[in-house]
Amino acid sequence: MPSFDFPPLLWWGLPLVAAPIIIHLINLLRHRRVQWAAMELLLASQRKYRTRVLLKQILLLALRVAAILGLVLALAQPRWKHAIGQMLGAGRTMHLVLLDDSYSMTDRSSGSGLGETTAFDRGRLVVERVATELAAASGRQEIAVGRFSVCAEAPPEDAADTKPDTPPQRFDLPRQIVTPELLPVIRDELATLVPSQTDAGPDAALTAAAELLAGDAADSRVLWLVSDFRAGQWKAAEGTADLLRRLADDGVELRLVDCAAEEGQATNLTVERLQVAGGVPATGVVVPVELAIRNHSEQPVRGVAVDLREDGSPRPGLRIEEIPAGGLVARRFDVRFPKSGCHLVEARLEADAVAADNLRTMVLDVADRMDVLVIDGDPRGSGRSGDAFYLSTALAPGSGAPTGLRPRIEPPRALSTLELETFDCIWLLDVARLDAPEIAALEAYARAGGGVVFFVGPRSDAETVNTTLYRGGVGLFPVPLAGPVDLIVDGAEPGPDLVVEEHPVVTVLSGQRNPLLDSVRVDRYQAVERGFEPAPAAGLRRLLSLRNGAPLAIEQPFGEGLVVAILSSAAPTWNNWSRGNPSWVVVMLELESHLATARRTAKSPEVGQRVSLMLEQGVDGIDVDFLVPPDGRVIRQTATAVRAGVLEAAIEASAAGPVVARWKRLDGTEQERIVAVNVDPAEGRLERIGRERLERTLQGVAHRYESAASLQPDSGALAGVSLVNPLLYLILAVLLAEQVVSFLASYHMPARRRAI
Amino acid sequence: MTPASRRYLHPEAIARIARLELRARAVVEGLLAGLHKSPYKGQSVEFLQHREYVRGDDLRRVDWKVWGRQDRLYVKEFEEETNLRLALVVDGSASMDYRSGPLSKYDYAATLAASLAWLALSHGDAAGCAVFDDRVRASVPARTKRSQLTSVVEVLETGHSAGSAATARPTAFQPVLRSLAETLPRRGLVVVISDLLGDSEGLFAGLQLLRKRGHDLAVLHVMDDDELDFPFEGPTRFEGLELPEQIACNPRALREGYLAALDDFLAAARKRCAAARCDYSLIRTGEAVDAALVKFLSRRSTAGVER
Repeated sequence: MPSFDFPPLLWWGLPLVAAPIIIHLINLLRHRRVQWAAMELLLASQRKYRTRVLLKQILLLALRVAAILGLVLALAQPRWKHAIGQMLGAGRTMHLVLLDDSYSMTDRSSGSGLGETTAFDRGRLVVERVATELAAASGRQEIAVGRFSVCAEAPPEDAADTKPDTPPQRFDLPRQIVTPELLPVIRDELATLVPSQTDAGPDAALTAAAELLAGDAADSRVLWLVSDFRAGQWKAAEGTADLLRRLADDGVELRLVDCAAEEGQATNLTVERLQVAGGVPATGVVVPVELAIRNHSEQPVRGVAVDLREDGSPRPGLRIEEIPAGGLVARRFDVRFPKSGCHLVEARLEADAVAADNLRTMVLDVADRMDVLVIDGDPRGSGRSGDAFYLSTALAPGSGAPTGLRPRIEPPRALSTLELETFDCIWLLDVARLDAPEIAALEAYARAGGGVVFFVGPRSDAETVNTTLYRGGVGLFPVPLAGPVDLIVDGAEPGPDLVVEEHPVVTVLSGQRNPLLDSVRVDRYQAVERGFEPAPAAGLRRLLSLRNGAPLAIEQPFGEGLVVAILSSAAPTWNNWSRGNPSWVVVMLELESHLATARRTAKSPEVGQRVSLMLEQGVDGIDVDFLVPPDGRVIRQTATAVRAGVLEAAIEASAAGPVVARWKRLDGTEQERIVAVNVDPAEGRLERIGRERLERTLQGVAHRYESAASLQPDSGALAGVSLVNPLLYLILAVLLAEQVVSFLASYHMPARRRAI
Repeated sequence: MTPASRRYLHPEAIARIARLELRARAVVEGLLAGLHKSPYKGQSVEFLQHREYVRGDDLRRVDWKVWGRQDRLYVKEFEEETNLRLALVVDGSASMDYRSGPLSKYDYAATLAASLAWLALSHGDAAGCAVFDDRVRASVPARTKRSQLTSVVEVLETGHSAGSAATARPTAFQPVLRSLAETLPRRGLVVVISDLLGDSEGLFAGLQLLRKRGHDLAVLHVMDDDELDFPFEGPTRFEGLELPEQIACNPRALREGYLAALDDFLAAARKRCAAARCDYSLIRTGEAVDAALVKFLSRRSTAGVER
């Protein structure tokens, strides 16, 4: 049975169908009377044509009735139920709609003219129409709608309290029976759904759907996967296909509805990176920040303007002349904050297809000074001639050139007595021996992301280093040492003793020949064991080498931190580098920044991840107010103990932007910390998985793929295919037939005069 | 000219036909010698034939020269020029009342009859008239006197008005024509003016009878334009003027069949008139009366010359 968009028009118009019959009857009453002489001839004609004339008149009347009926039906906007409508029979049918709400669904590059502006709008429209169709269908129709990000959330803790036959609800619209009366409510609820800023893929939602549908005893079950089918979301396409296959094997009908714009890929730029690129985040100190913009489109983009803000205040922005198609362009800019505390840096692009990835924020925790621990291996403290002097002078030259660093020179035992986490970096200067607790503390510090630098000079014993620090490659020290050797220089072969390798720390010295390096003379160094070949997985990198090819400075990752071993002395004992050579200062400061980067870079969770705040039990209060973006809504969380003495308060980040956490210490002082929450930049890649690849991936999985546009040829297509156009053609055909029959019935025959 | 005469005698028509001669196709008896061939043999200047003498023949007509040569008695027969005796038989039945223009079929037929009568009388021929439907309603025998035209017109008037009193006046040709055959004293030209609707078998039987009596025959078939073209549109109820039937119909739907039946009717009339050696002319009421008369007389004149 077709349904009608305007049934009242049908009921008001149907009586009009009787009009031709009434007109015919009136005409019968309004006959003109003619006194006729040649009656015999007329009677003969009537006898001959009576049946034919009667049939033609009946046919004519029927055609006229049909034309008016067609017109009335067309006005009532009939539509034939779509395939889904035919599918809706008696019995109970469960429709589970999974709606992609990842931020790529906010792509507003094109619309199909139905009033929507984004892919998510199209998806929501699809859901609305499915609900409309269900409301008009026979049988008991149930629907549940869940966004990817909502389905991916852990089920509520009180889920166990629900009835055994009701699976935990992780859907925006919990399962409900669709009735015409409930339709407005469902529409209102759908209207409140908005896309998230997450990169939530279909897998978690499909898992939740499988749980729900597995426990459902409906006569038929239909899963609607409404998505833009971006390549990024289907990275693990095989896993997604497996989930779909399991559902299909379980008898669930799969309907894949593609909401993405069918036109070519739109232009979308993404702020992919915004992070500290060195320097010391201390008050008054210039800190370089690196910004990277990715062009996710298929054509280059020119004249990209980047708006920059520091703590909400605009500052001179950047302009990138061109970003090649698919390319990444990085630029650096400097920030300097006069006050300590958390400072917010924002980079924002001009509006494009997807808005969510146009903004990226970074929090810079600026201290008055960054403490650097310098472990002096000289038990006597050699004053201005020792290693510590030359290093601390390089790290903190004086008030005229603020570096933001505050070296603290301590003996080796301090490693086990001080809280190493408070130090930006730890330098060990020719330490003869470390005890096990000291080594353990040092390793723990490095493993947690700290940076450690070893200088090995005359006091360092190769055997001791190998056994306590290198330990066959599992310890902190990057290489096994063979012992001190002199650097033999052939007088006939001029050239610098130092050779700069490819490493960010020494980038400033690389390239053309540097006269500052030419003046560096290395007389003696600790040689690496002969035949040592580092394992590729160890990740060793050289910073500097000697002219004979022996390594002088080697970096090794350790846990989340980095360890650098410089196989000579810091003081001008075995070399003259630190004696009045500016490159010494530069390299040491760069090394300090490089090693401390991991510790200085504040954690920047992505939307959908947890924003966690660690509190000190007995010092901090347990109530934390989180001010979350975009509107600064306050969420109060109570911190819970995670381990001895440590409390944790956390929320889930639902939108990109700075999350401000405020709490009070037990002494009454107010504390604040800012955490930058950003979107996953990969979601800004609008490349589609493509129909062919999707079909290949889902080979063997019974499913039906259709685009949102083809599913809805017009404003109510999902509720059925509109019959208006076919009906109009039919009316036209009926009217033509009516004219033909009229002609055949001699109604159009001209009354010509006969020639006698 | 009486008012009735004015009604049926159109001056224009009379002026146009006055130049023509009314000729009988065959030999008819007439009073105007030289103009009309008489069917009767008698004394005349123009020898016709010899025939054997039979008892009772006038001995003055025996050709004694032939007797002298052949010893057999023959009488001489001469062809005499006689005046025409014109009998106008006008259909006054109900079907003749139909009109689509200013003249009904009867009016038109009466005009034709009056015009022909005037023509005959002006040539010194005798003209008589009868109006009939199912029987003769009024008649006047053929005369040559000057007041005869008035009598003819009066018959045309009274014959139709007498018939109008009846609600339905069906046409019955056979009894009418039979009575005419019996009452017409001498052979002459009988002109039947009618729409021929009704008793068609009786018509042709009557014509055959008149023919057998030696009358020259002409049929002027008067049909209204509507009857020939059937131009009706829109729902129409046709009520029979002579028949009691009614037909409510869309005329266009029946037009094709009607015209086919009309063609058959006209073809049959033409054919059967020819079989009775009777001049047949179809005249539509939309045609001017004078034109119709000219056409009729020209046709007869041509036919007479050919013979």
